[in-house]
Amino acid sequence: MILKSSSSRIVISVIKHIVLIGMLGFLFYVFFGAYENLEALYNTFGKDYFSRYAEAETGSKNLVTSILLDYRLFDSLFEAGILLIAVSGVIWISRHEIEEKNAQFMIDKFKTPDLFVTFSRLVYPLMLAFGFYVIINGHLSPGGGFQGGAIVATAILILYYIDAEKDTNINLIVTVEKYIYIAILLLATASYFTRGAFFTNVFPLESSADAKSIYLVVLNVLIGFKVALGLWAIFTAFLKEGR
Amino acid sequence: MDPLLTFIVILIGFYGLATSTNIIKSVFCVTIIESGVILLFLNMGNLDGGRIPVDIIPDTLIADPLPQALMITTIVIGSTVTSLSLMLCIKVFHHFGSVEWVDVLGMERGR
Repeated sequence: MILKSSSSRIVISVIKHIVLIGMLGFLFYVFFGAYENLEALYNTFGKDYFSRYAEAETGSKNLVTSILLDYRLFDSLFEAGILLIAVSGVIWISRHEIEEKNAQFMIDKFKTPDLFVTFSRLVYPLMLAFGFYVIINGHLSPGGGFQGGAIVATAILILYYIDAEKDTNINLIVTVEKYIYIAILLLATASYFTRGAFFTNVFPLESSADAKSIYLVVLNVLIGFKVALGLWAIFTAFLKEGR
Repeated sequence: MDPLLTFIVILIGFYGLATSTNIIKSVFCVTIIESGVILLFLNMGNLDGGRIPVDIIPDTLIADPLPQALMITTIVIGSTVTSLSLMLCIKVFHHFGSVEWVDVLGMERGR
């Protein structure tokens, strides 16, 4: 039976919403039960270990960086790999035969006023410098390769407001990104020959924090460039959809 | 922030996912769920309220750095998933001429 009158349609939609909210309420009840049991599960063993040994073992004052680039470097490698695969996927999906040109909204003077363009010119070098600062100081202060790479990518995107018809070669960007990823893998594997263990700091455990931070800075810079190039390639692929 | 509020954020995402009629809105709802999960993890790592885990002073409370490191992974992967889905949305629009679920599914069934 097909209900065509508008009132019965409204009734059905109200019933559907009530059922949906009831299901979500049940989910909330389940979440709440899990939260009540949390006190028994919660412990601070990992936290205590990291706060006591992480700085001496990895030479990083930022414990998050010490986990990302030393204890769980395997995770970070695959995270960077997933970014590379996603960039390749976006570019593969977005290929088309129509002649490519940048989207029009960047050139439209009514939507991007001159004031915005002027301030973009002023802010662009500051954002770039701040991104590099966050990348290089990733082991001393909050930040690191992923966050700084995102800031550098945002600075590069602002460049498109200044010069709307800027031409970018996506294939070159992705090729450079692939070589940087291979360099990250090689640097991560190099610890097998110096320490006898994969995916950890290159310098031996006894060396000073200064020596260990060389490895951290180099890996942070490589990851930062890789993330910045990946996000730049994704943005350019979206920009080329203008037709 | 109380972890219960993060549950509510996640449930708002579920509600939007169930009721949205537009593909792009569905993508946004997935991002809302992801933000709720990120907030939940960061809360769980800092239940007793410590400092940030940078340049620590001995014998002070710090936040657990492990969930924060995991959440960086989530943020990067979430951004890539969002960009892939939005690119697929553009392709769906060029193919079907609409990004409404009804139009897309209806035209698919009709053929």
